[in-house]
Amino acid sequence: MRPSKYKLPMSLLLAGALPLAAFAGGGTVNRTVQADASSTVEISNVSGRVDVRGWDRSEVQVSGQLGDDVERVDVESNGSHIVVKVVLPHGHNGDGEADIEVKVPKGSTVEVGAVSADVTSKGVLGTQRLKSVSGEINADVSGDDSEFRSVSGDVTVRGDGKPISLRVSSVSGSLDLTNGAGKLDVVTVSGDARATLGETTEVRGRTTSGNLTITAKLTRDGRVDVEGVSGDITLHLAAPGLSTEIESFSGDISGCLAGDKVERVSKYGPGTRLNIRGVEAGGPRVRAKTLSGDIEICDR
Amino acid sequence: MTTRSVKRLDELTQSVPPARDLWPAISAAIEADKAANAALASGARRFGWRPAAALAAAVALVTVGVYIGKAISPPVTTTAMQPSTHAPEQVPTAFERDANYRKQRDALIADVQKRLQAMPAAEREKVSHSLQTLRDSITDIEKALGRDPANALLQELLVSSCQEEMRALTAVREAGNQET
Repeated sequence: MRPSKYKLPMSLLLAGALPLAAFAGGGTVNRTVQADASSTVEISNVSGRVDVRGWDRSEVQVSGQLGDDVERVDVESNGSHIVVKVVLPHGHNGDGEADIEVKVPKGSTVEVGAVSADVTSKGVLGTQRLKSVSGEINADVSGDDSEFRSVSGDVTVRGDGKPISLRVSSVSGSLDLTNGAGKLDVVTVSGDARATLGETTEVRGRTTSGNLTITAKLTRDGRVDVEGVSGDITLHLAAPGLSTEIESFSGDISGCLAGDKVERVSKYGPGTRLNIRGVEAGGPRVRAKTLSGDIEICDR
Repeated sequence: MTTRSVKRLDELTQSVPPARDLWPAISAAIEADKAANAALASGARRFGWRPAAALAAAVALVTVGVYIGKAISPPVTTTAMQPSTHAPEQVPTAFERDANYRKQRDALIADVQKRLQAMPAAEREKVSHSLQTLRDSITDIEKALGRDPANALLQELLVSSCQEEMRALTAVREAGNQET
């Protein structure tokens, strides 16, 4: 390659342009702070992406790319409480996108608040409370008392088969839980919700117009209590000797338990019900009610 | 007072006279009632036009009120949060919500309106649709309760749907607080 006489002036010009790029916002973030093995890590990001990863170190590491509208990323450590906050200029009008990865001690409690940012989480063994308005939530969960909430974003949660207490809710986003166990509280308005659970002690569910599907293996004293308005409810509950208290005002009741046991609530009015008394008092029990949604129930 | 035991029904006395004659008092009461009704009837004849006039005045007042209301009310705009469209008479009185509930709900809706305005159009439409679904569900339950007020299932669904609406409204309102 022929040496250019313009090489030096060009280099000087590029070097001068770098501070301008920093001034315009954007760039990267790379911060590491010490943390306890069971710290609480609080993360907030309006737009973009938040990836949370559990690791074996007693440190919280924040790295990522910042959009032009992002002012800075604050990482504050107060003992075992670490706050990671993507800060936007006051009265910002742009996207304010920031794609950040936050590595946390795997035993940490993690709380994430996002607006349109997508949130993913892997390898965290502690409690997780992930909230998003319109962004999607995609998480592996192991910690007891975990909660996932969205307004319009979809929520996908994978358990590890160990029993935990879990709350999942959305207004219009869909909810999908696999390999869960223990206790589940699931609420949706118009989004569909589907949960596949192993050993389950308690399920509480509520839907307005979204369809709700629960597949679970109930413990001997397991309880399922679900309610819907116009959404359909499908229950596949492996539970020998299941007691049922199922009623719909104008929806149909069907499934392998239904058969000819479905009866009219009143001779003169609408409504059907399926009341089956289980073999054992205090055994597994399901209670399901809808206004116009159909209910399908099977015990295998 | 002497007592004697009886073994058969026909041993009982066939008629027992009252301790005093009750008829004079009953007769006086009937006469007084007749006199009162006659006075009322003559009064009604004398002022027979008054109920009709009062009714006409009431109808006129309502008509004028509605006309003025239409004239001064702001134009109806289509917003994401439409009020409930069902006729209030369809809701049994027992299921009408108390003033405190309505006040809190109105405040929540006002906050949610602001929040919805700040949302991107696609998200606003999605969330508004869900909130409207909730509202429609409550209306459907109320209508069904209007036809079957004693239905325990409907009562239960109404309560939980109202709770769910408040929960969803709160979730949307809180969504606005997450912006930094």
